[in-house]
Amino acid sequence: MAKLYVKAVAPPDMNRNTEWFMYPGVWTTYILIIFFGWLAVLSVSGCSPGMAWTVVNLSHFLVTYHSFHWMKGTPFGEDQGIYNALTWWEQMDNGQQLTSNRKFLTVVPIVLYLIASHTTDYRHPWLLLNTLALMVLVVAKFPNMHKVRIFGINADK
Amino acid sequence: MITIPYLTAVSTYFSYGLLFAFGQLRDYSRRIFDWWSANNLHGYAPICLAHEDFYIRRLYHRIQDCFGRPISSAPDAWVDVVERFSNDNNKTLKRTTKSTRCLNLGSYNYLGFGSYDEYCTPLVIDSLKKFSPSTCSSRVDAGTTSVHAELEECVAKYVGKPAAIVTGMGYATNSAIIPVLIGKGGLIISDSLNHTSIVNGARGSGATIRVFQHNTPAHLERVLKEQIAEGQPRTHRPWKKIMVVVEGIYSMEGEICQLPEIVSICKKYKAYVYLDEAHSIGAIGKTGRGVCELLGVDTADVDIMMGTFTKSFGSCGGYIAGSKDLIQYLKYQCPAHLYATSISTPSAQQIISAVKVILGEDGSNRGAQKLARIRENSNFFRAELQKMGFEVLGDNDSPVMPIMLYNPAKIPAFSRECLRENVAVVVVGFPATPLLLARARICISASHSREDLIKALQVISKAGDLTGIKYFPAAPKKQEEVKDTIKLD
Repeated sequence: MAKLYVKAVAPPDMNRNTEWFMYPGVWTTYILIIFFGWLAVLSVSGCSPGMAWTVVNLSHFLVTYHSFHWMKGTPFGEDQGIYNALTWWEQMDNGQQLTSNRKFLTVVPIVLYLIASHTTDYRHPWLLLNTLALMVLVVAKFPNMHKVRIFGINADK
Repeated sequence: MITIPYLTAVSTYFSYGLLFAFGQLRDYSRRIFDWWSANNLHGYAPICLAHEDFYIRRLYHRIQDCFGRPISSAPDAWVDVVERFSNDNNKTLKRTTKSTRCLNLGSYNYLGFGSYDEYCTPLVIDSLKKFSPSTCSSRVDAGTTSVHAELEECVAKYVGKPAAIVTGMGYATNSAIIPVLIGKGGLIISDSLNHTSIVNGARGSGATIRVFQHNTPAHLERVLKEQIAEGQPRTHRPWKKIMVVVEGIYSMEGEICQLPEIVSICKKYKAYVYLDEAHSIGAIGKTGRGVCELLGVDTADVDIMMGTFTKSFGSCGGYIAGSKDLIQYLKYQCPAHLYATSISTPSAQQIISAVKVILGEDGSNRGAQKLARIRENSNFFRAELQKMGFEVLGDNDSPVMPIMLYNPAKIPAFSRECLRENVAVVVVGFPATPLLLARARICISASHSREDLIKALQVISKAGDLTGIKYFPAAPKKQEEVKDTIKLD
C-alpha cells in the first residue's frame, strides 16, 4: 500500500500537554479507538450491538470526563506548575473557545449518544444513563463553563 | 517540515494512549493498595503534587536505562559506557564495574576538543597549577584573574563584537541575563522551539511573552505587527522594548535559523535581536564564527549574541557579546556576574587555547582541518542516512542530525540495539520533543574518522531495519534500472 504522508508543522503552543492535539492524525485515532473498543466489547461479552454501544458510551464518558475535566495540571514538572489550576479542556488551544478541536470533541459524545440510544431502541434504563452521561459531558464543554467550579467541586484549596 | 506517514501517526497516538491508560491503572491500584496498608507519614506535605510526576514514574522510568548512561572516560570519538543492571524493572539502576568501549554519537564534541588535545591540555594543566581549580568567589570580589580578562577580549574578537562578558554556566547565562535586559512593560517574542533556559529567563523577566512559529519569518512579522498595534496588555500603551529571541542551530531539529530574513524584519519594526549560538559557535561557518558568518549577516545587526563554550570548545560556561555600553551595563547589573562564582580559570584557559587553535594562531592548521572535517563528516553522514531511507532532519552543514523514530516503543528499541553493537546514541522523547515526534539525535564530531562513520552507518542501518524506522523508500543502487526509481517527494 502506498504510504500516505502528512506534513507536521510545529504549532506555536507552549503547553506540551495540549500541543500534541494539534498534529494530524489525532481525530482519526480517537474515532478508531472508539470503534475498536466497540468491536472488543462485542467480541468479549457477546451482548447485543446496542448494549455494546451503551457500554462504549458510558466508558467513554468516564474516561473523557476524568482526563479532560477532572485531572488538572500537566503530567510533567517542566512548566513549573503554571497550569495547575486548569483542567485539560481549559488548557486546550491556550484557553481559546470554539476552535475546531473543541468543536470536534463536543460532537463526538453527541454522535455516540445518538448511536447508542438508537441501537438500544430508546429503552429504559439505558436511555436514562446515556442521556445523563451526555448532559454532563456537553455542559462541561460549554464556553461559559471555562474555569467554573460548581459548588467548589475540584477547586483548588 | 517533518513528513510523517499517516499510519505511523495513528499508531503512535494509539501507543501513547495505551501507555497512559496502563499508567493510570497502575496509579489507581497503587492508591488502593496504599490506602489499605498503614501509613505513618501523617502531617507531611507531599513532595510533588499528585499528577506532576506521572510521566516520570510511569513512562520515563520504564525505559530509564536508555537515558543518563554514565561514562568512565573522556567523551572523545570513542567513549567507555558503564554497564548497568536493574533488579526491579528499571525503577533503580545499579552500576557495575565493567564498561564497554562504544562509538560516541551523542556528545556535543563538534570540533573534537572533548578529550586530550596536544596544544590545549598542557596549557590547561599549567593554568591549573598556577591558579587553582576554582576562584571560589564572584567576579567582582576576587574572581577576576588575568585569564578572565584575556578570555573576554578573546571572545569579543572571535565573535566580532566590541565587548563580551563570560559567566560560569551556559544555562545560567540565558536565565540570569534575559531578566536584566528586559522587564515588565517589555515584549519578548521567542521561537516556539527555543531552549528551556531561554523560556525560564523570559518567564523570570516579567515581560510579556509571545511565541512565533518555528523558523517562519512571515509569522514573526505577523506577530510583531499585531503586538505593536495592540500595545501592552490592558493599558495598550506602547511597548518599552521588544526583543526577538532565536537560536543559531536548534538542537532538537538540527535546523539553522533563517537569520537574514529575521534580522531584516526586526530592523523594519525596530526590535532587538538576541541570538543564542549555543550549538552553532565554533561548528559552522568558514572560520567557525557561527551562523552569522555562514549566512553572511553583519554582526553589527545582531544586538546581543550569546553562546556557550560547552559544545565546540570542550569547556564550560557561556558568554554574551554586544556593544561596550551593553556589556558595561551587564557588569553592573547581572546577578551571574555579581554573585555567582566566576568561571574556573583552567576552563577559561581551555577556551582561549581552543580559540587559538581554531583561528590557527597556535602555528598549525589543525583548526582549519577540524572545521573542514566536521563539515565533510556531517554532509557525508546525512547524505548516507537519507539514501538508506531514514527521515533525517536538519539543514546541510549542520552537525546535528535527528533521526525520526515517532513510536514510543522504538525509542528504547533503537537505543538498546545500537548499544548492543557498541554505538552510543542519544534518544529523545516527550516532553523535550512534541508527543508525536520522538527522535534519535546524532551529533557528529571532527574527531570521527571515515571508518567510524561507516561503522556507525552499518549499525544504524541494522537497528533501523529491526525497528522499522526507514519511513522513506531507500534510494536505489546505481546499477539498477533507472525507470524503477521511486521519487522522494
